[in-house]
Amino acid sequence: MSDMGLLRSARLALLAGGLAAGLLAAGAAKAQEVIKIGAPLALTGGLADEGKKQDIVWKMWVEKVNAAGGLQVGDKKMKVELIEYDYQSEGQRASQLAEKLINDDKVQFLFAPFGSGHTKIVAGVGERYQIPTIACVASSESVFDQTFKHLFGTLSPNGGMTTAMVKLFKEKYPETKTIAVLGRDDVFPKSMAEGIAKAAEAQGLTVAYKELYPVGTMDHAAALSSIKATKPDWIYITGYTQDLILARKQMQDLGVTAPIVTMVTGPSYKEFTEGLGKLANGITSSSWWHHATSYTGEGVWPTTAAFYEEFKAKTGGDPDYVHGSCAAAGEVIADALERTGSLDKAKLRDAIAATDIQTFYGPIKFGPNGMNLPRELPIIQVQDETIKVLAPAAIKNADMIAMPK
Amino acid sequence: MAIYLQTLVNGLMLGALYACLAVGFSLVWGVLNVINMLHGSFIILGGYLTYFAWHAYGIHPVIMLPVVAALMFALGFALQRGLINKVVSAPVLTTLTLTFGLDMILYNAMTYFFTATPRRITLDLGAISLGPITLPVDRLLGTGLALLLTLLLYAVMRGSSIGRAIVAVRMDRMAAELMGIRTDRIYAITFGIGALMAGAAGVVFATIFPITTNVTGIWLGKAFVVCVVGGLGSVPGALVGGLVLGLVESFAGHWFGPQQAMTAGFLLMLVLLLTRPTGLVGVKGYE
Repeated sequence: MSDMGLLRSARLALLAGGLAAGLLAAGAAKAQEVIKIGAPLALTGGLADEGKKQDIVWKMWVEKVNAAGGLQVGDKKMKVELIEYDYQSEGQRASQLAEKLINDDKVQFLFAPFGSGHTKIVAGVGERYQIPTIACVASSESVFDQTFKHLFGTLSPNGGMTTAMVKLFKEKYPETKTIAVLGRDDVFPKSMAEGIAKAAEAQGLTVAYKELYPVGTMDHAAALSSIKATKPDWIYITGYTQDLILARKQMQDLGVTAPIVTMVTGPSYKEFTEGLGKLANGITSSSWWHHATSYTGEGVWPTTAAFYEEFKAKTGGDPDYVHGSCAAAGEVIADALERTGSLDKAKLRDAIAATDIQTFYGPIKFGPNGMNLPRELPIIQVQDETIKVLAPAAIKNADMIAMPK
Repeated sequence: MAIYLQTLVNGLMLGALYACLAVGFSLVWGVLNVINMLHGSFIILGGYLTYFAWHAYGIHPVIMLPVVAALMFALGFALQRGLINKVVSAPVLTTLTLTFGLDMILYNAMTYFFTATPRRITLDLGAISLGPITLPVDRLLGTGLALLLTLLLYAVMRGSSIGRAIVAVRMDRMAAELMGIRTDRIYAITFGIGALMAGAAGVVFATIFPITTNVTGIWLGKAFVVCVVGGLGSVPGALVGGLVLGLVESFAGHWFGPQQAMTAGFLLMLVLLLTRPTGLVGVKGYE
């Protein structure tokens, strides 16, 4: 090797060493100053639309928190870093990425992805490493009955969605005697289909038809023809947006209707009303949150209106319950850090379990299973292609109408 | 009685759509021995082209049909010519992996650009009542178009020199080559026709089903079942397979509940695989 070569090697080695030292120092400094939240997200694949909703409000929250100097931990403020990975709507990959977030990125908290099924997967990883996991789009009690100690959900149990609905509809239409239920054979839609049948029977209705359809069904003609033959007073269908758009259209095609038609959770998503246009009119549903509510509380958004305005300015559209619930998930972490004043894992877990806060999204207080406590959930209806709130009385902005003929 | 008539009509209409969706897939599989994993995404791509033409420019889907068909043929032809032909004589797993990879690219590109939000073309043509049964007009139109397309393909396969050449290649590639048929060109044309039929099915489906990338796998699965039930590589096979699957799903849905409708379809497939691997009207040697 020539002298020149030696010199160059030495300089390279020096440079590399210096770089490594610098990086290490930066890394150490960063680890001290930053709160890391990890989020495996469905940014591509079948759940991409839902994943993007979480992404947008989490980024809004982080931006706002950091603009204000960060989160209060003890006597100092710490910035928040959100680390997201796309798990491509594949449950298996969500679990691998959750491990990576914990082991490689050393996150202190996890945000769970969309839906009860994938939440269960990510929460399992969080539990194994004792990392608090905040789930903002899982409402099935079967996710929270695993005796996990580190899983907390901001949605209320979906059990609260059925009894109140039957009661309201019976008051409004006392002649309602029979109900036909068609549900998607999937965690949340199935539990809602079973819940409504039970609630209806308990309040004296007859369940004239109750069937589940498998995931991947692309034709509801057989089920709808059978429902038509029973002439029900109330048709209740559960599923995801594409199932419900198809079912509503086929109802129209086959002349299947009833004075009350409920689709869960179709109208909670603007994609449903956009996809159906006039055909969406008259359809009732339930949701966990609506921007017409007026809650006040702590956090970066002091009121529901403040969140609504900012969201609208940022995206041009109205927020739905996914946006609301996920934006509030950040406040749970902020509150726990402020109360403990440290980054101790066990203390933070206990602090989150003891959460009792008011936010723009409503109260957050976790029950023994980690779910937000039940509250009165909005019952909504599409009227003139917009969403109206029928109940609870405090936020009601329209009277229920019968299904248009 | 009325409910059985309605179920029968539902099943036949659904079956014609299944036939239209599967015929291109069946042709490619039968002639090229390529399991085209792109088929479901091709259908949805056809649906998106139709949706955006209708939504942005108000072009009626029926007018879009030849346009989409031509575009998809070109895409299929180019893909086969440029990529798949390079591995077409490799074992079936190689071509399967290639089309699977291409499908992931196409699928995620569509999700990226169009999002997975279900979209719908609102023709809402209403329904005709014939006594106790109801016939949705758009489904009727879809059924008519599906049958027309399938018969058109049949006529091309039977009557044109290209069609005869495709059949010849399917029967014996070596002999066809010795007779002066340029097999790589026939392969590209066949794959083009497969893509064309998928795109055309997409146009028809866009007026009936929600268009979203979420359902590409479902349509691909249906195409599989139809091929196994009816028999590979022929138009009558796809037609019979489609109609039988439509009827089975419809009646099983009525008798045993919708949860069992798909189970019945797959059960039928299993039984046929065991007892008649060529399918109901398949030719021996193409199972």
